[in-house]
Amino acid sequence: MIKLSNIEKVYQTSNIETLALNNINIDIKKGEFVSIMGPSGCGKSTLLNIMGLLDEPSTGTIAIDNKPVEKFTDKDLAYLRNQKIGFIFQSFHLINDLSILDNVEIPLLYRASTNKSRREAAKEALEKVGLSNRMKHFPNQLSGGQKQRVAIARAIVGNPEIILADEPTGNLDSAMGNEILNILLQLNAAGSTIVMVTHDENMAKKTHRLIRLFDGSQVS
Amino acid sequence: MLSHLFKLIWNKRRHHTLLMVEIWFSFLVLFGVMSLISYNFKNYLEPIGFEYENVWALDLNKNQDTTAIAEKLNTVFQKIRSYPEVEVASRMSNNSPFSFTQSNGNISYQKHSVLADYYTADEDFTKALGMKTILGNWFKKADVVAKFKPVVINKKVQEALFGEVNPIGKIIGENQKVVGVIENFKAKGEFMDNSPCIFNLADDKYDYNKVLIKVKPGTDANFEAKLTKDIGAIAKDWTTEVSYLTDQRQNQHNFALVPVIIFLIITVFLLVNVAMGLFGILNLNIAKRREEIGVRRAMGATAGNIKIQFVGEMWVIATFGILIGVLFAVQVPLMHMFNVETSIYWMAIGLSIVILYGIITLCAYHPSRQAAKIQPAMALHEQ
Ligand SMILES: Nc1ncnc2c1ncn2[C@@H]1O[C@H](COP(=O)(O)OP(=O)(O)O)[C@@H](O)[C@H]1O
Ligand SMILES: [Mg+2]
Repeated sequence: MIKLSNIEKVYQTSNIETLALNNINIDIKKGEFVSIMGPSGCGKSTLLNIMGLLDEPSTGTIAIDNKPVEKFTDKDLAYLRNQKIGFIFQSFHLINDLSILDNVEIPLLYRASTNKSRREAAKEALEKVGLSNRMKHFPNQLSGGQKQRVAIARAIVGNPEIILADEPTGNLDSAMGNEILNILLQLNAAGSTIVMVTHDENMAKKTHRLIRLFDGSQVS
Repeated sequence: MLSHLFKLIWNKRRHHTLLMVEIWFSFLVLFGVMSLISYNFKNYLEPIGFEYENVWALDLNKNQDTTAIAEKLNTVFQKIRSYPEVEVASRMSNNSPFSFTQSNGNISYQKHSVLADYYTADEDFTKALGMKTILGNWFKKADVVAKFKPVVINKKVQEALFGEVNPIGKIIGENQKVVGVIENFKAKGEFMDNSPCIFNLADDKYDYNKVLIKVKPGTDANFEAKLTKDIGAIAKDWTTEVSYLTDQRQNQHNFALVPVIIFLIITVFLLVNVAMGLFGILNLNIAKRREEIGVRRAMGATAGNIKIQFVGEMWVIATFGILIGVLFAVQVPLMHMFNVETSIYWMAIGLSIVILYGIITLCAYHPSRQAAKIQPAMALHEQ
């Protein structure tokens, strides 16, 4: 589903060169739940961004459904992100000036859709994460766990095949974290392919496969 | 997308009220200027209806002199006509072309009435100013003895009093008989409204101060000096002032255009202010909203979507300000304020809307493009 070959990522800032990723080869299969672990600064987010087509590798190739993407235009990449990929972030990244419902609708704004169909889809997604009673609220009226559930609803509203979650439980206590993990496990059971960055060994154990990074390189 | 933008702006309306008020206010000022410009421009397109090249206006100031005025006037006038440099001389009332004097009154025919400028002029007036009648004739010497006072009207009076009816021979007012119709006579210059006007005949007893003379091309100040000296010799206490119509026309133009220019400068300052405010808000917004930009990009927004969003937000803000402005502005034509053709105001409203949206788009475009260029991974980078 997502195939990374010989990925290398170098960040160039003024005169410092950071090798964030080095010779990464990963093949994520359809329906898999993969977790990524590694110390802070080892390149996990960079890897996830590259998988999610938010960032380009310095060298190496990415193929989505066996199609290499390096020749893709900004529009093509945006289309793929919109149709195939749902993102969840550690700090939620909700838009504070929009209601929960409007936040969840965002991915649908960037595809052909009617106001009504967007509304319906967003309500359905919020129901799946158990927040249909908070639709009219604004993000700063919610707890961290609730915010992350909104973010999950936003990630799944467009029915993407792949969910990329960057430390989705990193800002939450363990009870809330487990709640989020359970939602992700359910989504995976329902067919979603998931790649999740985590610091929690117990959570990683519940997934199919674990990739460990150290200093930009795969160690397992 | 549009409803999304409206929601976004509505939810943040308190941040944007100042800008909306500024846009509203600019719209009103712009509307004022555009009304003035449209008014002057529309007038400008209408011909003034006479020729002023090589025409001089002589102002005969009799000062305290009260003796034998009629005789002196007659001698002076005959003298003026006798010069080879003078092609035509014509006596008229004080409100000569491009002068700052005006005289008007109501004139009626049956149930119709119109406010018209009144001029008194003799039989050579149209020759001096190269004017033509479109119906009937200009005054003839013989008209003086007629039972009714002959008058010539312009087309505006004809339309107001007669509509489709032929006005020649009709009696208007008390005892004034229409003998001719001219097209236009915009005595205050190109920027004057083409308003209704009526000419009375200056008979030989008419006590006038103004003489229009059409001189031969190339006639210069030497002749002017000779003329004033000769008149001084006939009427010792009089003073004669010569003005060239081309100069007086320039004065009238300045009189009409200087307020427009001042108003325009104020408006430009105001608009620059709005533009800078807008620019500032956008730049600040984009800096504060990097995270949002990143999120939207991750959710499938193209660079183009981001650009449209930021420009679109400004359009929405502008639309609120402009809408309220239009509500105020339409009162002017709806309530027929200022007695000016309403089409001018509709044009001014249209122009103001186009200009404001234009400025806003121009200001919003560059920052929005910068926003679209932000790399999504950078925007979402968290420590
Ligand atoms: N936009 C960037 N510019 C420069 N260096 C970056 C940027 N993003 C990440 N890095 C560097 O790349 C390395 C990997 O970062 P990251 O992928 O965020 O690590 P992790 O998510 O594992 O904590 C770090 O050394 C970080 O400082
Ligand atoms: Mg990270």
